[in-house]
Amino acid sequence: MEDAMVLFRLGPLAITSIVVTTWGVMLVLGVFSWLATRNLALDPGPLQTALEGIVSAIEESISNVLPDQAQRLLPFIGTLWIYILFANLVGIVPHLHAPTGNLSVTSGLALLVFLSVHWFGVRSEGLRSYFKHYLSPSPLLLPFHLLSEVTRTVALAVRLFGNIMSLEMAALLVLLVAGLLVPVPLLMLHIAEAMVQAYIFGMLALIYVAGAMQSQQNLDRNEEGGEA
Amino acid sequence: MAFDWSTFTLEIINFLILVWILKRFLYHPILRVVARRRVGLEKVMADAKRIETEAGALKQQHERELAQWKEEKEAATARLREELAAERTRLMAELEASVAEERERRRVLDERRQSDFKRAVEEQGIAQGAAFSARLLNRVATPELEARLYALLLEDLRGLRAESRRAVADAAAAPGLQLKVQSAFALDAARRTELAQALAEVAGKVLPIAYDENPELIAGFLVSIGPWILHANLRDELKFFSGALRHAGQGPVD
Repeated sequence: MEDAMVLFRLGPLAITSIVVTTWGVMLVLGVFSWLATRNLALDPGPLQTALEGIVSAIEESISNVLPDQAQRLLPFIGTLWIYILFANLVGIVPHLHAPTGNLSVTSGLALLVFLSVHWFGVRSEGLRSYFKHYLSPSPLLLPFHLLSEVTRTVALAVRLFGNIMSLEMAALLVLLVAGLLVPVPLLMLHIAEAMVQAYIFGMLALIYVAGAMQSQQNLDRNEEGGEA
Repeated sequence: MAFDWSTFTLEIINFLILVWILKRFLYHPILRVVARRRVGLEKVMADAKRIETEAGALKQQHERELAQWKEEKEAATARLREELAAERTRLMAELEASVAEERERRRVLDERRQSDFKRAVEEQGIAQGAAFSARLLNRVATPELEARLYALLLEDLRGLRAESRRAVADAAAAPGLQLKVQSAFALDAARRTELAQALAEVAGKVLPIAYDENPELIAGFLVSIGPWILHANLRDELKFFSGALRHAGQGPVD
């Protein structure tokens, strides 16, 4: 997999094709959302029904993990699912590469997840109470907690990057070796893999955030278990 | 695969912008309309619940009213039956009274009819008896019987009670009074003289006497002294006899 091509520069920032593709995805999603939600009605049409179904499904999935925080987490988790799904699927379009097949992109998303975990955790539990769980059940475990935070973030980035990059590379190799129409089943696999990886990334992010928001409850539960 | 800090940084910024875009143009509008629809549905559900509650209350009220109407109907039916029985009893009593009254009226009518029939038969018998007696007495009426009745007349005149004599005297006191003597057979001079003397004794003075012959008397005399009349003949005796019989026949019936 070759590096992303730099198209132009904005000061110190190099604008690569990956960034432009991301902007394209953002533009498509933004315009589509604006057009689709301009005239919402209580009696919905097919498109509005589909959108309501998607949003409600995302909200329902969040509610199943955090029943009281669905409205609060919906923008972040929902955008993760939608963006990663579309970013994964962009790889199917000829001459375009999936942004999620770039380690810089997935690392940025993983960093956002890492930061959001602590952001939501501190907002939910309070600064002192939230960081207290790193010392539980023993302060000796603090290095392991910190290592866990780093490794799971890296795992998030590498998992998504590796899967999407390998899919594109496999499709390219099959196309080079077997011919024009042979990679079609592989593209079908790409679609399924894109959906699965988006779901996994978003669900893991949700679970991490939920763990952070419920850290105090987990701590209390552990202490009660130890006393018993 | 090289790590590009520019892409890393821009990707973070891009994602945060996308979060804002989707939150602004997708999530919030969709969630708002879903919430509005949910509110509408909850309102409809609440209205449906309220209507169901009201319907249940109305149903219970209707059932109560039905039960009450049924009780009232049964009570009214019972009252109606009692009134019908009372009315039937009253009408039966009135009918029995009417029948008894009619029966009594018919009994009285029958008795009266029988009495009238009996009286008519009796009167017919009396009349026939009187006719037969008159016919018989006409056949046996002779001067000898006349003489016997003449003797009885004189005996009656002489045997009058004092109050009868005063009544005759009062009648004879009328000025211009003329005595009338009717007989079935002609009176001879001696008997006329003897009778005039007897009448003068009764009246207390001598009065002119007109003698007349009346065969209808069958036998005997009819003496008129003003309003006072002395019957001594068979015709009037038969009349008195018939009247007495009628009177005797009417007495117990009436």
